[in-house]
Order: sequence, then structure tokens, then C-alpha cells
Amino acid sequence: MPDALAAPPARHGTRAALAARWQRWWNARLPRTDTLALTQRNLYILPTAAGWMLALTLLVLLVASINFQLNLGYLLTFLLAGSAAASIHVCHATLRGLTLHLLPPEPQFAGSAALLEVRLHSQRRRPRRAIAVALRGSEHWALADVPAGGEATVQVAFTPQRRGLHAVPMLTAQTLFPLGAFRVWTLWRPAAEVLVYPQPEQPAPPLPPGEPLAGSGAAALQHGGGELDGVRAWRQGDTLRQVVWKKAARTWASGAGELVSRDTQHSQRHELWLDTAATGLADPEARLSRLASWVLQADRLGLAYGLRLPGRQIAPASGAGHRRACLEALALC
Amino acid sequence: MSLRARAAALPRETRDTLFLLLVIALCIAPLAPHLPAWASALALLLLLWRGALAWRAGQLPGRWVRGLLLASVAALTFLRFRTIVGYEAGVTFIVMLLALKTLELRARRDAMVIFFLGFFTLVASFFFSQALPTALATLLGLLGLLTALVNAHMPVGRPPLADALATAARMALAGAPVMVALFAFFPRIAPLWGLPSDMATGRSGLSAQMRVGSIAQLALDDGIALRVRFGTPGGQPPPQSELYFRGPVLTAFDGREWLALSQPEAQAFVWARATPAQLQVQGPALPYEVTLEPNYRPWLLVLDAAQQPPELPEGFRALMTPELQWLASRPITSVLRYQASSHLQFSHGPREDSRALRPYLQLPASLNPRTLELARQLHPSGGEPQAFIDAALARLKTGGYRYTLEPGVYGEHTADEFWFDRKEGFCEHIASAFAVLMRAGGVPARIVTGYQGGQMNGVDGYWTVRQSDAHAWTEVWLEGRGWLRVDPTASVSPDRIGLPLRLAPARGALGNAMAGVVSPGVLLHLRALWEATNNRWNQWVLNYTQQQQLNLLERLGLKAPDWQDLVRVLGGLTALAAVLGMAYAAWQRQRRDPWERLLIGARQRLARAGLELAPHLPPRAMAEQARQRFGETAEPAARWLMQLERARYAPQPAPDLALLRRQLPRLPWPKSPPARR
Repeated sequence: MPDALAAPPARHGTRAALAARWQRWWNARLPRTDTLALTQRNLYILPTAAGWMLALTLLVLLVASINFQLNLGYLLTFLLAGSAAASIHVCHATLRGLTLHLLPPEPQFAGSAALLEVRLHSQRRRPRRAIAVALRGSEHWALADVPAGGEATVQVAFTPQRRGLHAVPMLTAQTLFPLGAFRVWTLWRPAAEVLVYPQPEQPAPPLPPGEPLAGSGAAALQHGGGELDGVRAWRQGDTLRQVVWKKAARTWASGAGELVSRDTQHSQRHELWLDTAATGLADPEARLSRLASWVLQADRLGLAYGLRLPGRQIAPASGAGHRRACLEALALC
Repeated sequence: MSLRARAAALPRETRDTLFLLLVIALCIAPLAPHLPAWASALALLLLLWRGALAWRAGQLPGRWVRGLLLASVAALTFLRFRTIVGYEAGVTFIVMLLALKTLELRARRDAMVIFFLGFFTLVASFFFSQALPTALATLLGLLGLLTALVNAHMPVGRPPLADALATAARMALAGAPVMVALFAFFPRIAPLWGLPSDMATGRSGLSAQMRVGSIAQLALDDGIALRVRFGTPGGQPPPQSELYFRGPVLTAFDGREWLALSQPEAQAFVWARATPAQLQVQGPALPYEVTLEPNYRPWLLVLDAAQQPPELPEGFRALMTPELQWLASRPITSVLRYQASSHLQFSHGPREDSRALRPYLQLPASLNPRTLELARQLHPSGGEPQAFIDAALARLKTGGYRYTLEPGVYGEHTADEFWFDRKEGFCEHIASAFAVLMRAGGVPARIVTGYQGGQMNGVDGYWTVRQSDAHAWTEVWLEGRGWLRVDPTASVSPDRIGLPLRLAPARGALGNAMAGVVSPGVLLHLRALWEATNNRWNQWVLNYTQQQQLNLLERLGLKAPDWQDLVRVLGGLTALAAVLGMAYAAWQRQRRDPWERLLIGARQRLARAGLELAPHLPPRAMAEQARQRFGETAEPAARWLMQLERARYAPQPAPDLALLRRQLPRLPWPKSPPARR
């Protein structure tokens, strides 16, 4: 299954086909899991550019030793070669035995940077240095040292491009420790899925006007202009305009912390519906973007709002749970 | 804030920069004595300047300043060496580049560049010396470079340098067996191409000409010229007075300076005749092994006189000059070991008078008139040459001549001044004056330089010949007998020949200070010990050649090994290492930490009861989840889990794992999934 979130750059022709086959083969090798214990089987190691440079240096040192018959030069060359060989082991052991665990990711908005939290757990008696985690293909490495027999957390930023429920993109963990001559890395496909809400439209037009409750007259459409009938305690669904701010400030100062609303007949007879049809847009994704933006606006204002999508309707309410339900519906429809 | 606290609170980049500067200084230090003075001073200044900038977090110099410095360094190098590609110029330039590079140094980014440049500087210092102190300095430099590189790859926080050093040391230690195996079995090959010619310029030891004062300088040099192990029973050396190690033979004389026959002429001799020296030996051969310190000349020093060429390692050939000196096919730039055998009784040279002897009679006209007159007195025409020689030696013995290392400066007529005015000097004055007298009397004569005598190192039994044993003697030619060695110095100062410790080396300030505290005997013993250690180093490391490799293989049981066997042994060792590595990997995969095994056991038991827990959860979290899920029934298991946690993480002595292991199966683990609450 190709990764929608971190798709590799498009290639052409046979190369693309080969790359796709290669990718499929890899993916088949890599079962999805949220907890990855690194062993010999899932760690890869290759020399870096600096490693090849080191090899070249070793060659030059060897030739110098041969040509000038420097036995001490041989010793130095071979000790450096031995140290480099030992560094392969040290490098590999830095990741081997480490456990990676992905904390369940929070839902995100498409197009905005989000964080994946990866917990690194080590049982080794020595600290593990310079472990870098990143999305596969990106160069934004999140670095951490894992203390001896302890844990460290790294946060990997990623920017989902499309709404929906996606698998978390493939991650890479690597280290260049200790010499930078070798890179040991692993590929990791976490099992967790991340819910991506539509990208909220920026800037979005103002909220649509409220609709009269079933049974009330069409004349009641203009709202907010009614006379004060009195005040009552704020309750869910009251608009900001209804709040009596002077009174609210006083009650807050006394510590009661209660909002007070104007009790009008109008507001009770209207409710806010965020409707696909009301967006006035043709592109379905653009509509969802605008709806998402409206949901956020309405939520910020503390309004009660309902969501009407093709084939689905969420009754007006307010609060964090309602907001999430609405955004989820937008993400998945 | 005290300096120490300040150093501890330095920002990471500053600290790393200072450390890198220290490492660079370590790498350059062994080269410093061999660089031009301005280069060493400039390198030190640059490092100090950069260090000060780092310490005060100052601004690095701009591109113009760096460019100007680079240009002036290049110009200075060119002015000094008249080239920029030659060997010494190249080394100077690399060191200057390394020092200049620090001016645009960012510790983290540039660690790699410094790392590679550093190794080239380290190797460059081997051209000058491969002695034990150099090796130790190199080891320090290597550790420093590795530490700097490891440190650059610890990007998180500000880990102590000691951590990086520990990692570097562990890697070097793990690399040591690889080094030993490769060193022992990597086939030694002859040089791939010719050495640059300026390597051959003389740096120490004897020289191709003899001038007043030149051997006096050597006499004050306490350095070791060569070591000998005699193949006699018990390694006993022949009598001191027989130990003449032959160096260059000097023939042409201009009144002040003695020169060897010009090189083309000597080579014409070598290739023209099969046995140019016409050496005839008598008596038993004396086998011995010489470990020659580099003299940057092709001179192989052997005891007078070796008939067979010394057995040289691969890549060298030995040839004998008509003047009985053994030469190597190229300059000796590193410690060289060879087997030789000599006959202390021998005769050589043409028996009949010939044109070839004319150069040995040549004297500069109008110089040393009084010596010419003396020759006429001592050797009247028709007299026996042997009687003439005896008379000259007798005059040296009884004429009030004195051996001194400080004869002062001689004038134009050096021989006259010696025979009549000053009557003092050391071997070169005496030999020179004697040879002039012989030539004036019509007896062919020449100067032979080399080393005479030596001293036994009591610690390892090696015969040690120092630069201070440098000596000059004469050879005269007699009809029917060839060239005969005459050492006129022995007549002036019998002590000079045949006694150990003739010249007490001038002690330095440190030596004087030590002398007050430690007895001279102890000092001598310490010196012998140090030199024996150095000798071990030379014998085992610097002189490890293909011959030694093959000997090692033979001792390992191979018959008639050659270099292909070396490759095979290396291949075998590599395969063995690979197999061991794979076995270790397999074992590691099997092996689990006992603590972890207990944790897994607990997790499985909880899973059986219906509580699936993620494998990364620590025992504490598992205990909490078990309590939440099963309530009171899980309490014993939860307590056991907390103890397991303490066993791993408690700073105090914690519960015994064995106890926990016994408890694990007996605990009342929650049995069935409880009703969901």
C-alpha cells in the first residue's frame, strides 16, 4: 500500500515501476507495529560519504607506509582501520536492542504541522547517543540521547496533506554515532492511524445565519435585534451577543464564574446549522474546508451548531466533544 | 568566577573548539622541531589566537585576513624551500594549512576535516622519527582525533568530553587486535615508486666530507647510530680496538676539506670491476646483526671488512665501493636491520702500483710547506715506507701531541699547525695531518670515517654505537700489501681507542639537576633501560620486515612460506573473525537480560488473565494497570512488579533477582478475566 502521506517523489517509466515493486517488497517485509524492538533483522548499515572518505584516507596512509617503508605508519593505519571496524559494531549496537514506541497520535488538521511522539526505551547499561528519528524521506531529524536503562521521547513533525484516516507515515530511526563513518538505520511502519481533519479555510467567510426552529415564522430570521426580556444563567447554545458582558465581569470578579445571557425569544427560536449547501462552493473538498473553518469559529464563539453533510446530520450542540464529532465527520465523509 | 568554573561553564561550541585546538597542537607537536622556526612559531601563534577568540567568544577574522595569511605562508614556504611541492615544503605547508584552518573553524562541522588532515600530519612526522616517543605521541594524537570526532557525533546537550574519550578509547582498544593481526600478516611490499630526492639530504650522522669541527659536533651527540648483536657465543664482542665500522672514505683534499671521490667516478669503479676492492680475508668470519638508525644516506655500516653483502630486507640491494664501503641502493630513511659477517683480518686494494693510486697522492700545492719538509726528513728517498710510517707514529706518540675536543680554529696550513704549532686536536685533525704527511712522503693515503668502539647495554645485551663514537682514521698503501689501516689517534691518545666511555657526554641542565639527586650509576642504568626499551621497539616493530613475517609463519608450522601464504593467513583470520562475529550475534539474539525475562513472564501471565500490555511498559505501569483492572486480587503481583522495578532502578542494593525468579510462578496471579466495570 503506497503511503499517501509521505509519498516519494514521482518517477517515470520502468524506474518508477521498479521503485514501486521495491517499495511493495519492503512493505511486505515490514509488518505494521506501534512498538518496534530493533534487532539485527531490522537494522541496516552502510558507510556514509565520510566513511568513504575515511577509506580513502586509510588507503593513502597505507600507500605512504608502503612507499616510505614506515612500520609505524603501518601501525597507525591498521589501528585506525581497527578502530573504524570497531566503530561499525558501536554504531550498530547504538540502535540494536532499542525499543521504539509510538504514542497514539492526536487527530490533526491537513496542511498544518503536527507532532508524532516516539518513546525510545533502552535497557542497556550505557547511554545510547545521537538517535535521530524522522519521517522517511525527510531530513528533519529529531535527535535524542537515551539514558542508560531509561527512556527518551522525540517528537517528529509531519504535515498531513489530505483529510481522512491515514496510517502513520513510515518512520526512520538512524544514528551516525560514533564516527559518522557509518549510518545504521531502521524503517518502521507504525500500526497507529492518524485522523486528519480537513484543512480549515483561511480566511473563511462569516458564519451562516441561524435558521428558524421548525414551526416558527420566517420573519424571525433577523436575529439579535430583539429587546431585552431579562437575564438568565448562560446555557449551551447562547450566542456571544446574548452574553451580558458587564454583568459577566462582575460575577467573575466575585468568583462565581458564571456567564449571564439575555433571555430573548429570538435566540430560542433560531439555531445554527452548518450545511454543505450553505457554503456556496462547488468543489467538495473546498466545502469541507469551509465547514471545518466554520466549526472552529462556532466553537470559538461558544455557539451551539449542527452539521449537515450529504447523508449525515449531527444535531446542534456545543463543547469539545461535539466539535470533535463534527470534525471527525468532516474528515471521514 | 575562577578559571576552572569558567571552563566548566563554557558553551559547548567553545569547549569543543578549545579541545580541537588542543588536538591539533598534539598532532603538530612532533613535527615542530623539524619545521622552519617561523612555521612552528606561526602555528603556535595561530592556535593561541584562535583559542583566545574562542575563550572570549570573539569575532573570527574575515576572509581578507585569512587570505592574506595564506598568501604570506605560501610565500614564506616558497622563499625557504624554493618550491612548494617538495617534501619538506609540503609538510610545512600542510601544518600551516591545518593551523590556518582553525581560523574558520566551527567545532562540530569541521571535526571531520581536522580528523583527516590530522592523520596526514601524524604520518608526516614519521618521516623524521619513528622512535618510541613519537609512537606514544602519535597514539595520543590518534585518541585525541577520535575523541574529537566522537564528540562531534554527540549532538544532544553538552555531554562531558570524558564520555567521548571513553568511547574512543574503547574503539581503539577493540581495534588493537585488528592492528596486531594486520601488522603481523599484511604482506610487506617494496616501495611502489621512487622516493623524492630531497629525502636523501643528510640530517645526522657522518657526512660525505670532513671539515674541521664536523666530527667534534658528532662527538657531542649522544644519539644512537647503530646497535649490534654479535653472533659469537654469548654475544661477546671482539676487542674494542678491533671494532671499526666503516663509513665513507675520503680521498680528495683541498687543504681544509676532505671529500669522497665524486659519485660518478665511484660508480664507474663499481660497475667496471667484479671485486673492485680486491678484498682477501683471513681467519674466521664474525657474524652479527646490525640495527642501523636512519642516516638518510645509502651508507651501510659494517665492521671492517665484510666480504659478503649484508642481508638486506626486500627492496634494498647492497653494493661495495672500490674503497670497501658498503652502500645500499637507496638512502636509509628508517631503522634498518641487516645481517652481516666480517673478517677482522683482511687485506685489500691493489698489490701493484698503478695509475689508480694517483688520487691518493694528490696534495694542494703551496700548502703545508713545513709538513712537506718533515716528510723529506722522515722519509729520505730510497727509505722503507714502513719505517716512514713508524717514524711518523713515533713522533705522534712522543712529540707532546695532545688529544682534545676543543682544539680551536685552525688556519690555512692545517697540517703544519698540527705538527708544529698547536700539537693538539682530535681524530680528524690527527688523521688529516697524518694523511698529508704520508702523501708528502710519497705514500698513498686516505681518510676513512666511521664509528669506532661502542658500549654494551647491560639490560638487553646489545652493543650500542653512538654518534659520539664517530671516528676518522687513515689507510696507507704499501707495495705488495695493499691498503693498511693506521689509526694515528691511537698514538696520540691510546685511551681514545679501546676503552669504553671515552667521552663523557655533556650533561644538560636537567642532567645536572638529576645528578645531584640520583647517583651516576643509577642514571646510567636508567639510560640503559630506556635504550633497551627503544631497542625492543626497533627490533620488534620498526624492523618487522617480510623476512620476519615469513619466519613467523614458519614458526606457526608452514613449510617454505611465501607472501601468498601471508594473504591466506589474513584471509583465514578475517573469515574466523566473521564466524566469531556471527556466532556472537546469534548468541545475542538468543540471550535476553534475566530481568527482561522476568518482565516478559509477568506480562504473559497478565495476558493470560486478559490484560494485554504493551511490551514497552515499565513494571510500575504494569502494576498500576493490573491494580486498576483486577483490584485487590492483583495486589501481590503488583507488589512483585514494584520489587522488580527496584531490582533494576533502585540506587540502593535492591531485591535479589533470584528471589524474584522463585516467586514468579508461586504468586497468586489474577486467573480469569474479571467482569468489566
